[in-house]
Amino acid sequence: MMKEKILYGYTGIFNTPDEITHASEKAVEKGFKKFDVHTPYPLHGMNKAMSLAPSKLGYVALALGLSALFGIIFLLWWISAVDYPLVVGGKPFFAFPAFVPVMFEVTVLTASVGTVLAMLFVFFKLPNNSHPLHGTEYMKKVASDKYGLLIQADDAKFDETTIKGFFESLHAAEIEAVYWDEEEINHQHKILTPKFLGFLLVAGLFTSGATYFTLNKLMNMAPFTWMMEQQKQNPQQKSLIFADGFGMRKPVEGTIARGYLPYEYKGQPDVAAEKLINPLPVSKSVLELGQKKYDTYCSPCHDYHATGLSRLRGQFPNPPSLHSEKVRTWKDGRIYAVIMDGQNVMPSYANLLDSDERWAVIHYIRALQRSLNAKESDIK
Amino acid sequence: MSSGSKVEYQKKEIPSRVQTLGLILTVLGLIVVLGGYFVNPARMAFNNIIGLTFIISIAVGALFFVAVEYLSGAVWSTPFRRVSEIISSFVILVPIIVIPLLFNLHSVFHWTHPEVVNADKVLSGKAPYLNINFFVIRIVAFIGIWMLFQYLITRNSRKQDSTKDQNLTTKNIKLSAVFIPFFALTISFTGIDWLMSLEPHWFSTIFGIYYFSGTVVAALAAITYITIKLNENGFLVKGLTEDHYYSLGALLFAFINFWAYIAFSQFLLVWYANLPEETFWFLQRWEGSWVIWTVGLMVVHFLIPYFGLLSQPSKMDAKKLKFFALWILGAHYYDLYFLVMPNYSRDGVALSWYELGFPILLVGLMILVFVAKSKKQNLVPIGDPKLKRGIDFRL
Amino acid sequence: MSSVDYTQELSVVEGKPGLRELDDLFSKPLNEKPNKKFYIALSITVSLMSLLLIGFGLTIYYGIGMWGNNNPVGWAFDIVNFVFWVGIGHAGTLISAILFLFRQKWRTGIARFAEGMTIFAVMTAGLFPLLHVGRPWLAGYLFPYPNQHSMWVNFTSPLLWDVFAVSTYFTVSLIFWYVGLIPDFATLREQTTGKIKKVIYSVFSLGWRFSNRHWQHYEMVYLILAGFATPLVLSVHTIVSFDFAVSIVPGWHTTIFPPYFVAGAVFSGFAMVQNVLIFVRKIFNYEHIITLDTLEKMNKIIMLTGSMVGYAYAMEFFIAWYSGVQAETFTFFNRALGPYAWAYWIMITCNVISPQLFWFKKIRRSIPIMFVVAVFVNVGMWFERFVIIVTSLSRDYLPSSWAYYKPTLVDGMILLGSFGFFFTWILLFTKGLPVVSIAEVKAVVDGAQPSHKGHE
Repeated sequence: MMKEKILYGYTGIFNTPDEITHASEKAVEKGFKKFDVHTPYPLHGMNKAMSLAPSKLGYVALALGLSALFGIIFLLWWISAVDYPLVVGGKPFFAFPAFVPVMFEVTVLTASVGTVLAMLFVFFKLPNNSHPLHGTEYMKKVASDKYGLLIQADDAKFDETTIKGFFESLHAAEIEAVYWDEEEINHQHKILTPKFLGFLLVAGLFTSGATYFTLNKLMNMAPFTWMMEQQKQNPQQKSLIFADGFGMRKPVEGTIARGYLPYEYKGQPDVAAEKLINPLPVSKSVLELGQKKYDTYCSPCHDYHATGLSRLRGQFPNPPSLHSEKVRTWKDGRIYAVIMDGQNVMPSYANLLDSDERWAVIHYIRALQRSLNAKESDIK
Repeated sequence: MSSGSKVEYQKKEIPSRVQTLGLILTVLGLIVVLGGYFVNPARMAFNNIIGLTFIISIAVGALFFVAVEYLSGAVWSTPFRRVSEIISSFVILVPIIVIPLLFNLHSVFHWTHPEVVNADKVLSGKAPYLNINFFVIRIVAFIGIWMLFQYLITRNSRKQDSTKDQNLTTKNIKLSAVFIPFFALTISFTGIDWLMSLEPHWFSTIFGIYYFSGTVVAALAAITYITIKLNENGFLVKGLTEDHYYSLGALLFAFINFWAYIAFSQFLLVWYANLPEETFWFLQRWEGSWVIWTVGLMVVHFLIPYFGLLSQPSKMDAKKLKFFALWILGAHYYDLYFLVMPNYSRDGVALSWYELGFPILLVGLMILVFVAKSKKQNLVPIGDPKLKRGIDFRL
Repeated sequence: MSSVDYTQELSVVEGKPGLRELDDLFSKPLNEKPNKKFYIALSITVSLMSLLLIGFGLTIYYGIGMWGNNNPVGWAFDIVNFVFWVGIGHAGTLISAILFLFRQKWRTGIARFAEGMTIFAVMTAGLFPLLHVGRPWLAGYLFPYPNQHSMWVNFTSPLLWDVFAVSTYFTVSLIFWYVGLIPDFATLREQTTGKIKKVIYSVFSLGWRFSNRHWQHYEMVYLILAGFATPLVLSVHTIVSFDFAVSIVPGWHTTIFPPYFVAGAVFSGFAMVQNVLIFVRKIFNYEHIITLDTLEKMNKIIMLTGSMVGYAYAMEFFIAWYSGVQAETFTFFNRALGPYAWAYWIMITCNVISPQLFWFKKIRRSIPIMFVVAVFVNVGMWFERFVIIVTSLSRDYLPSSWAYYKPTLVDGMILLGSFGFFFTWILLFTKGLPVVSIAEVKAVVDGAQPSHKGHE
């Protein structure tokens, strides 16, 4: 059943650029507004001949460019100075000169791509392969080597009876009427059709699914795990080399820990007193070390001021004061021997203090002793 | 076919009030310059360098523009090429401006002091290049080269007015091609000699190109301003349109961007590597009130002309173009000041009546030379075979 | 008597072909089935490309140890090839965008092909930074996205600027190319008789109708894209040069690198485009579109940019002496006289001497000689990057750290294979898309524009 065809407009073909320019000027003169010119390539001066207002796409590009620029500056500032500031190469957090290249690239990218997309999808409302002109002989010709003028039927000044005469007065080579096709008339802008929206939904699901898979699953598969799965011994892991399966081994027999050189005078305090000399200087840092260690290890029994009136007083036997004549006259090495062997109830502190710490404590004890037995010359 | 087949040009005399203005400015400028030299010769010598490099930029840059037109076969600039040629004749002013400097080299260049050079291993190493004799020979040779090419090219162009011989165009194309490498080297080493060696411990391989970028921008600005001014008052050929102006505006815009690119590259690389032997030059320009001048350079020489000339209409608008042309000339002087003056005044910007001397003098002299040259020749190359195509040029 | 008449504008397209004729001429390769010559050419390029695939495979499986890189020469063929191919890409954008801004009509015959070469060259170039990171499968981390490490990329690093620059360059070039193709797809859509082809062309043409209301916006956007692409192309090779210039390595840290690299890129790019076009115009019978005048103009640009490169060599050498920095002075003597002197002198001969031959008009217009000169230029530019990168790394500040670099077989396979990759895409392009911009060429044929233009 042939439905009544709805007229879209009338077209005229012209053979030369001068003719089409003239035709366009005449169409403007006649007062037509809904008309168009079709050429295989842009003709100079046609915009003027059609009295077209200048394109606003320049403003679109400017707006996109400026927003991108400020956007990226903000992002760079936030990333580098707020979210995770790192000192890189001694540069300040917001290293503006270093950010300029990225700022430039992002601005150009956004402005270029955005303007093209705006032109195609907003200004032209493309893609659109269902326009009445598609599939006509007119379109074939203007796509190749002819120039065409189209006047739409819905223009205010359009009159079906006189329109052909108008084209003839312009000496158009061919005059053709163009009608709407079935599916063309139902054509909506493809952006908002259910089909396209469905496509967007599928694309969205696919993208998020792929991202999830990539980041949560794929990254935990080979070869992405090669760096994590290395052939080295991890703590608490079974060893493949040693027979007993222990990865963590004891030190070799005879290993000496640093600061714990063997003590040759065990049980010979008097020999130690003669042979051992305090190697450390009496300096602020040594005394501070000595104080720290004394307070930790010695003060519970001997008290902070070495008086013996400590937290453990009242026990039998009482911890002795270190200010006694005996201890004051002891050599450093003799005190060292007490620390190493212990004495009476006092245990050995050999494992709790390394050699430097022991000597530092001894210097500190000397300082404490001097505090209660100062000479006149010390006050000066 | 466009507006008639005849080229309509009527030779007009530039009104005498222009020459009077030139004379007044020259005299005024001369008073300030001579006075300045009398009172503070060192300061005036630094200003002299700014003036020297400024006039070289405009004159030799204009000749470069002429050469590029010949080499590229461009037609849109042919109708006002004679304006560029006359501007290139400003090269006659270069030896005049350089003479006072030759007597004051010791005030401006550290490397002219033997006791300084002998005590410094680095400077002694440069002495084969940085010594007074070679230095003077260089500037003399450069001036000679510029004057030679300027004379030959413009002579052919003027001859063509009467003979209409197309061979002269071919000759000028060849001359232009030979000129370009000479131009590249002489402009680079002018920048190195007169601007970079003010701080003889500093060096930058891009410096020659930096001075070149300023040169092109300044020459274009001068050409733009004078061309539009002359066209508006009917001194040029009939038929020049907004499309011709647009091409000048677009080139101005493009080379402002080029200058900014070169300036930024130089800065970024020195800043990034952070080597004290290089950064100190920029740090000098961040001392005291110099920081204001330096930040101002980015605004004056880039931001303002960039946004001013960004839109298509603004590149075609005569009023805007004249404004920005003058602005850019000022910006180029500002740039040269930025390069030179920190060597005179370490802790801050030094601005006083001294600094007005050379700008006023040079503007006055340029006006006088232009008027004088324009009396003896046509302001349009009426014999040039490309002239008709140039007038008919549309975007 | 003058042999040239300057009063006449040179025809861009010789012979005043009709518009229909041009349609047929440019769509012919697309409508015909590929012939034997095509298959032979394709088999050569594909075999070369397979070398690339093998080299890549070995590198990915066994690691960067397959290359000759050592300590201190941590960058060698990988980066040389990267810079080489990115440089080649620049000619395309220059022809498309910069010559467009300068209203040089002679670009129309070559712009489409050159832009295509840009895209393929950038694709080839992009393979190298991807591969040289060692674990290319983690390359996603190069892009700043919020990740579980809470860490971001290092925005102060020029290597990251490269990521942005090259991706932007690729994207914008692709868009620029595509926008130019839309009207041509529409022409092909109207012309074609094949059903499937009609669907494909309809989709890619987006239904373009040749309406002047659209042409108006189209021309504005084309101008905007050209206006953006110009600083973009300058920025890309500038940022590539920053990879070296921001360091303190002698021979690398020098302020002239940005414009020097850009000039060098245009230099090598034009040489490659010229070489390929010589073949294209012969094979497709486009000699009246890609005319000898066009080739001559390209040779002038090659000479100009070659001279710029020569200028940069001279200025670097002068300042290396002038600066008094021993390490710099040494570097330049080392380049000319040290263990890589052979590479240096190849570079000088090819880059400085050979383009100067183009001072002579006879040579500029002789196809065999210009072809050879352009090949030398490309060889020279490859060696320039090699000299810069390898000599400076091989002998920098501390003599105890010096070492000689030798490429391995895998390095060579990848280099050779990259040419296969590039040329395979070009061959496919010649069969799948019109290699000359139909609409643009039509617009500059004699008589194409109204003669009343500018009529007040």
